[in-house]
Amino acid sequence: MPGIAVCTAMFELMGLHSYYGKSHVVQGISLNVGDGEAVGLVGRNGVGKTTTLKSIVGLVAGTKGRVLLNGADMASRPTHLRAALGIGYVPEERAVFPNMTVEENIRIGAMLLSGNRDSVLTTAYDLFPLLRERRSQLAGTLSGGQQKMLGLARGLALRPKLLLVDEPSEGLMPINMELIARALLKATDEGISVLVVDASFDLLRIACKRLYVMDNGILTGSYRPGDFSNPDQLAATYLGAGA
Amino acid sequence: MHEIPVQLLNGLVVGSSLALVASGLALLFGVLDIINFAQGDYFMLGGYALWLSLRFTGNFWLSMLIAAVVVGVAGGLLLMAIVWPLLDRSHALVLLATLGLSLILEQLATNFFGGDTKLIRPPIAAQIPVGTVHYPVYDLMIIAVGLLVLMGGFMFLKYAKYGIWLRAVAQNRTMAAALGVPVPRVYALAFIASSALAGIAGSMLVPVTSVYPTVGSDVILRAFIVVVAGGLGNFRGAALVALLLGEVEALGSIVIRPVEVEILLFALVIVLLVVRSRRQSALVRL
Repeated sequence: MPGIAVCTAMFELMGLHSYYGKSHVVQGISLNVGDGEAVGLVGRNGVGKTTTLKSIVGLVAGTKGRVLLNGADMASRPTHLRAALGIGYVPEERAVFPNMTVEENIRIGAMLLSGNRDSVLTTAYDLFPLLRERRSQLAGTLSGGQQKMLGLARGLALRPKLLLVDEPSEGLMPINMELIARALLKATDEGISVLVVDASFDLLRIACKRLYVMDNGILTGSYRPGDFSNPDQLAATYLGAGA
Repeated sequence: MHEIPVQLLNGLVVGSSLALVASGLALLFGVLDIINFAQGDYFMLGGYALWLSLRFTGNFWLSMLIAAVVVGVAGGLLLMAIVWPLLDRSHALVLLATLGLSLILEQLATNFFGGDTKLIRPPIAAQIPVGTVHYPVYDLMIIAVGLLVLMGGFMFLKYAKYGIWLRAVAQNRTMAAALGVPVPRVYALAFIASSALAGIAGSMLVPVTSVYPTVGSDVILRAFIVVVAGGLGNFRGAALVALLLGEVEALGSIVIRPVEVEILLFALVIVLLVVRSRRQSALVRL
């Protein structure tokens, strides 16, 4: 696999295997994300990208391999402890708490933090001004795109060391995609490492420094966004990865 | 018509204590999808715990607190130990397990305390005039304590960290865990709080209804009606429907016979269910 070396990895995945019953979905992948670096994970539908993220968070029961955050292995820890130790997760589906307000949703992300939790709200609202307008509204009544923004704002409110983001741009209007890209950039500026699964060439080009291509449960290459001059080239790389 | 103020208060006495039992059931259902058949027996244990601790302490209010803590912690953890291994299995197993626990607790109570009723005098014997009759001050205190606990529960769910976590786990436990919510601790809290609510209600009502091994059976049927009509998992809905049920029963008995009041209650429940079935029910809603 063509590779780009990273000297200091804040996060390392070593030999990850994940199973759903007898189905061997992730077949021994290793990757790393540096401090304050955003890395993309791309590939066709169903190759195991979401399963990889869920395995890192601890949401897949049948998982083997090492999940190292600053050298400490998270693999045997339950999901809530991984979150408390710095792994944030923004799922693909709209996973807001529907009967809680927008503000309550964001606050939950910040509840483990010590110190001034209100600044978390200010940061979230600065990134997504629309959420400020709707802060008293029940999250379940937001549109799909707004729920995506809320999910990301809530994930950032946890102030994680590593943020896993699954398909943030899926189904979003271009203007909202820009907001998402800006939020990810700001996160990396603040030292948060990001591993993002997405198919949007624009988002990956703006936010990520490196890309991993995944196919059939394994990584088939690693690239820089600059290696591709247009979306078709990127798509041809990962669509052709299994060929 | 002079009976109306008294019956209104009687309705609140029944309703507020029923609301405690039912909101405990709703809480447990909301957070864990569990229907606890032993909730009525925790009500019964609350009564016996009060009776027993009153013999040692001689202080009614302290005994009530002890009853709530003992039933909450011991009962909650016992329930958790029984249900925990079954959480990912069929719901029917959990139902059967809590039904089994209910039968065991009733039998143990009979063996330990005997089948007779235990009577306790109210800690306050004073009465105040309500209309043309004198009304026991203790009954007013039941209403006050019941409503205070319910309000406290509501505020806890609305503002406290663990209250917000309870609601979060009820709505999406996977996402709650991914945000660092300590789900096992939240589960334990739900078990304890739910049992404690039944314990408080059971101990509070002993001076009014006395306590005997099957006293919980009378309560649990009504509590189920309340929880189903109030929206499974809906804390506020359960509390409000319980108060409504208490009032309908009390006021209805002025004009019609008790058996007809029962029919009226079931008709009310059917209407509420039809109305509710048209709306999406929510888990641990406020």
